This record gives sequence, structure tokens and C-alpha cells, in this order.
Amino acid sequence: MNQQLLAKTFVELADNLVADFDLIDFLRLLTDRCVSMLDASAAGLLLADGDGKLRVMAASDEEVRLLELFQLQNDEGPCLECFSTGAPVIVPDLTREADRWPRFVTAAHRSGFGAVQALPMRLRAETVGALNLFRAAPGPFDAPDTLIAQALADVATISLLQQRSTQRSTALNEQLQTALNSRVLIEQAKGKLAERQSIDMERAFTALRGYARAHNRRLSDVARAFIDDSEPLPGLVT
Amino acid sequence: MRADSRSARIQVLVAEQAARRGAPVGVVDVCTAAVAALPVGGAGVSAMSRTAASHPLCSTDTISEQLEELQLTLGEGPCVDAFTHGAAVLSSDLLTGGLQDRWPVFADAALEAGARAVFALPLQIGAISPGVLDLYADVPTVLDAEQLADALAFADLATLLLLDARIDGTGAQAGAPPRDHGLEDLGGYRAEIDQATGILTVQLGVGIDEAFVRLRAHAYTQGRRLADVAADVVAHRLRFLPDSEPKRTDNGN
Repeated sequence: MNQQLLAKTFVELADNLVADFDLIDFLRLLTDRCVSMLDASAAGLLLADGDGKLRVMAASDEEVRLLELFQLQNDEGPCLECFSTGAPVIVPDLTREADRWPRFVTAAHRSGFGAVQALPMRLRAETVGALNLFRAAPGPFDAPDTLIAQALADVATISLLQQRSTQRSTALNEQLQTALNSRVLIEQAKGKLAERQSIDMERAFTALRGYARAHNRRLSDVARAFIDDSEPLPGLVT
Repeated sequence: MRADSRSARIQVLVAEQAARRGAPVGVVDVCTAAVAALPVGGAGVSAMSRTAASHPLCSTDTISEQLEELQLTLGEGPCVDAFTHGAAVLSSDLLTGGLQDRWPVFADAALEAGARAVFALPLQIGAISPGVLDLYADVPTVLDAEQLADALAFADLATLLLLDARIDGTGAQAGAPPRDHGLEDLGGYRAEIDQATGILTVQLGVGIDEAFVRLRAHAYTQGRRLADVAADVVAHRLRFLPDSEPKRTDNGN
């Protein structure tokens, strides 16, 4: 682990937790940094809804197959186990777990992943979600890296609370629901932009996010304006 | 959907109210079921829109009715804030917390009408936001975590019922199966459903609410799961057309 990169990343994350920050934008940054720092091929953050179902809040890549792999873990897989036990689940070699999670292991293998870990997003006594890291090559995870991954999962949890305090809400489950809804909004905007521009979901996401950043706007505000056709948004829509 | 899930339990409570009334499940049944399940005296739902006039849809008693009308007339109050910010507004006591400054006219009028605590829950699925569910109590009231989670689940169900009520008028086929069919997808959240809804706004040239209604209407009439239809749309195996039936295509990946 590169100490300088680590320090730089945490400063960058703290810098982005400004007043009125956009949660989805922030969590995408966090998953991107997981990939660049932690020898991971892909990363995702999942949050539980009111039914205890895990839903994707952010991923290091928005391609459909990766989102599928996260969603599949509502039936079986390390994230589900991590969420229900509140403890980290570390799987250095997925091929050994084919009996435990047959569908998940097949899907992960098809996406080119050989190892996976899931770390809990904990809030006091409650587990609210999980950080999921995939790596192409099987093999043991470095213990220091796992500690850093847990620290990043904790930062993700803090960002949820930060969001909560800026919105004056007093109830955690209401705040989680608002966070989940902001993800739904992004998915709707991705679909609309992807269809209109004939681009894939990842490019649609980065275009929305790029527009928001270039114009110093919140991603969710841009997404809503785009869906509602309430503004021209030059440069986003050609 | 897990049979023991919160949304499944809420759905049963609402269906029981409809059965008692001898009618198909409607938004009013969400209101009566919420009043039976939560420490509140009444409930009401208003249809709200950013572009058109808002109006009350139903309420369980005269106080609720007054609260809905007051807020829509005054243009202030918890339901207006919940709609504007897309987040629940939980006012456990209208006499405290500066609420009379926040809603100078509404707070006094609501107290006068007999309400002391007011909870406004936005009905929303991303950018789709057809209205607000309002609950009130005549004494200061705090909803605990379980009660609030139930209230949010009532609001989710009201959202789908409100949108379902539009299906008849939007290209769904005559002879569609009776109502109550589509609620199974409450617990079946998939990102593809939201992506497909966004895609349909372009393919059909309609707003996001109608795109979602059309997607669900197609799933019902074809007897298919919403998530499966959505996956076909996202993979370009199914294309919706403005003036005719959706078309299956073979250029999917």
C-alpha cells in the first residue's frame, strides 16, 4: 500500500464531504478509489431497503453485468452473508465456494472475478449495507488492505449520516430511503440519456456526472432536470 | 418477494381494508390501514404535480380532509415541503420546534382543526412523484423506527396504487387482469426497472410517470414479471412504439 496515495485519498474524500454534497457522486468516487488503491478489479456499495433487500448505491462501473452481480446477492453470496451477520466475508478463491453459492460463483466467474470480499457498513448496532470488492486473480487479501477497505466502508456510512444532518431529518430509516430514492433517480436518468444518445449505461452515468461537475451542480439536480426536461442542459444532450 | 417482508405485511393490511369495503384495492385503503396500524388519528393523500394543479384524493376523516385542503390552498405545510424536497417531513408537535415560524398560517390552522402532530411522506420512485401521504395525530406523537418504516411502506404502496389507477387510460389492453396484480413487484426492486422507465420516456416521447405506467401495463397484459420486461427493454430485445404495440427485436446483446 502506497502511504501517500492513501493519505491523498482520504483528504480527497473529506474534501468532497462538503455541505450539500451529492451522495451518489460521492459514493462513486469512493468505489473508484477502492479500485485504484486496493488491488480490486471492481467495487460496489449496497444499502438495505425497508424490506432488508440490498440495493446498489454506487459501483466502480455502471455496466449492466456488474450491477447484476451485486443484485444477485439478494439470493446468495458474500454481501448477503456480510449484511445478515454484520461481519466481513473474505473469499480468496471463489472456485472453492461453488457449493456454498452456486449461482453467484458462476456469475462472478463469467465476469472474470476470482476473489471477493464484503465489508459491513455498520452504524452503532445496526448493519445498513455492505462494501463489495472483486478481484480478477484468486489469492489471499492483504490484511492491511482489508483494514483500509473497512475504513472506506465506514466513510461511506458517515457520508449517509452527513447527508442526513444536512437534510434536517431525524430518522435514520427515512434518510436511508431518501438515499435509495436518489439512486433510483440516477438509474432513470441513465436510461433516458443512454437511449437518447445511443450510449451504454456507464457512459450515460459519466456524462451526467461530468455535466454536474463542470457546472458545479449536484448530480441528482442535473438528473432530475434532465428527466423533467425543465432545462436545456447544453452539452449533455446533443 | 419474501412472504415475511414488511411490504408483504403492509400489502395484506391494505387488502383487508379493501375486502371490508368490498372494492378493489385503492389509495383510500392505504389510508384506513395506516390509521389502524399506526398511532395516528387520520390519513389523507393528495395528488401533486410540479406542472399541474394539486388536489386532495381521499382522507379518512374531516380533520385529515381539512389538512389536505389547507396545505394545497395555502401552498405551505409539511406535505408541500415533503413534495418539494422529496423527503419525509416528521412534525411530532406543531407547537414546538419553530414549526409555527416555518408554516405561519398552516401551523395555526392545523392546530385549530385538531391536529397536533403531522407526518408527510412523499410518494415517489426516483423522479416519479405523484403525491404525498399525510398522517396526523391529535396529541404530540413520535413514530418509532418500526412505525416509521411501516409508514414508509404504506407510502410506497400508495405510490403504486396511484400510478396503477392511470393504467386504464394509457394504452393498456381491454380485458387486462383485474387490479391488485402488480403489487408483487414492490419487493422485486431491480435497477433495470428504473433504467427501462428512463428508456421509455424516449421511445414513447412521454413523461417519466407515464413511462412507468406503460411499462407496468405491458407487464400485466403479457402476464410477465416487471423485472423481466425491463431487462428486455434495457437489452434492446423489446422496443416500445408511440402508436402501436411494443415490438420484439433480435438485435439484443
